[in-house]
Amino acid sequence: MRFLPYVLKSLWRHRARTALTVSGSAVALFVFSFVGAVRDGLARLTHGREAERTLVVFQANRFCPSTSRLPEDYARAIAKIDGVRDVVPIKVFMNNCRASLDLVVFHGVPAEKLRAARDLTLLSGDWAAFEGRADAALVGRALARRRGLSAGQRFSIGEVTVTVAGVFTAASAAEENFLYTHLDFLQRTRGLNSVGLVTQFEVLLTEGAEPQAVCRAVDAAFRDDRAATDTRPKGVFQAKAVGDLAELIGFAHYLGFACVGLVLALVATTTVMAVQDRVREHAVLQTLGFSGPLLFRLVLIESLLVSLAGGLVGVGAALAVLAGSGLAIGTEGVTVAFTASPGLAAVGMSVTAAVGLLAGLVPAWQAARAEIVASLRHV
Amino acid sequence: MPLVEIRNVTKQYRKGGQAITPLRDVSLDIERGDFVSLMGASGSGKTTLLNLIAGIDRPSSGQVVVDGTDVTRLSRTRLAHWRAAHVGYIFQLYNLIPVLTAYENVELPLLLLPLSAAERRKRVGIALDAVGLADRADHYPRQLSGGQEQRVGIARAVVADPVIVVADEPTGDLDAEMSEQVLHLLRRLNAELGTTFVMVTHDPKAAAVARRQVRLEKGELVEPGVVPAVRRA
Repeated sequence: MRFLPYVLKSLWRHRARTALTVSGSAVALFVFSFVGAVRDGLARLTHGREAERTLVVFQANRFCPSTSRLPEDYARAIAKIDGVRDVVPIKVFMNNCRASLDLVVFHGVPAEKLRAARDLTLLSGDWAAFEGRADAALVGRALARRRGLSAGQRFSIGEVTVTVAGVFTAASAAEENFLYTHLDFLQRTRGLNSVGLVTQFEVLLTEGAEPQAVCRAVDAAFRDDRAATDTRPKGVFQAKAVGDLAELIGFAHYLGFACVGLVLALVATTTVMAVQDRVREHAVLQTLGFSGPLLFRLVLIESLLVSLAGGLVGVGAALAVLAGSGLAIGTEGVTVAFTASPGLAAVGMSVTAAVGLLAGLVPAWQAARAEIVASLRHV
Repeated sequence: MPLVEIRNVTKQYRKGGQAITPLRDVSLDIERGDFVSLMGASGSGKTTLLNLIAGIDRPSSGQVVVDGTDVTRLSRTRLAHWRAAHVGYIFQLYNLIPVLTAYENVELPLLLLPLSAAERRKRVGIALDAVGLADRADHYPRQLSGGQEQRVGIARAVVADPVIVVADEPTGDLDAEMSEQVLHLLRRLNAELGTTFVMVTHDPKAAAVARRQVRLEKGELVEPGVVPAVRRA
């Protein structure tokens, strides 16, 4: 700590260079964190208890939710299958079936099922307002932020117009991009023509039920019925729905690595230049009694501080944008939420610290091993 | 027992495939509290000898013992620790750290010693006072004249109370008036602190400040009035 003023003043000495490096690192770490947020969002969709212990029954050989039309009375038959705790019929309506950054997905769900099956916390409005009005809708926080919606407002997509009864937050970030309305309201909406039909069923399992066995049982029950079904665990269903996006997100993973490489190159260049500029100064410090290991640490701390400053700005900005924008990308009714999380911040700052230390290793070694007499002659 | 014992020291290195020997079989004792000037022409080996005494260079052969420690046998890191505790170095071109104030420059050697902040503050105050720059403590090197910079350099060299202070042409970059002031300061510090001073200079006037003058020619010690060839014979 007693050498910190010297380290900070050394960084301040070439403040334009330091600022450029910090800003370059910040941009790269902003992108890195953003990519991380997308990957996290995808992982949350496909992993976890809900993804593995909840099934989605969809019409066989259908892809976009608007093409899946299952009889609502299937719910009764599904409920009788061993291992099924509850069945939630859902009518899905959305503004776009293709990949979009502004996907608006309506989920028509019976009010009593919605309250039981979803872990929603109202930030504004109330359940009574939702239950008491046919065209009422509960809007996820991210969607409300993106579209500027608040309780009491009316909101239309195509033929569907709803009144916002409340804004909710949910345990699942992806959920916050949905809009929940009454099932029968959505079924009766002019243009949708789907009275008695739903898009899908969500099947909640009892403890100990084997998901694959229940999937097979459901599909077997309706193989020769009016519409054959395709039942999968929710995680698998969502992974399939966002399959093309997942490939893109997988590619973006390499973009994240490239950003880390960029930060490494930037910080290493700055640190190398800082050491080369101070060959004589380091020799003076050694003459005064600064040991090689101490100089090594001082250079390493300089490199670490530059990297951490870039990380704080970049990761901080990414978290702020993610938290404030409610960004999500969606396709086929499934959304991947870009969410800020403490884990993302920890990963971002850990990578920043590791890159800072790595970038400083070679110049720190050079500074520590320099011959004093030769370095004192350095101009 | 002398503070510095230099025994049969030779320094040799290769440059462009050619062997250079800046010091050849030099032996010298320096007593505690002495003020010695090392004189000689450029390339005579005086700075090399000074650097060996300061422990920032190593001889190719021979022994350099300072205050009972054979500095030629210390590892790089131990030698650095030894320098921090035992040696003060005054450079010709001052070599102050430009981003640090006069106070912070003088404090640098103390950061390496187990001293409290209060103790460091006290010692820096005394050192700056001793060189007459207490009122310039907050000034950066660029805000000081050459003579003032060198006085800060001297304060930095003596602040840790080393057993020996070495000075490499301390007046080499100063005008006559400033040189006189700096030499007077060195002589005063030697007398008041009792610290041993070894000063490299090629200026006879500067050398005259010292109590003892040692002359080097072509890497060998020369007794006053004796040329190396005659001595070897």
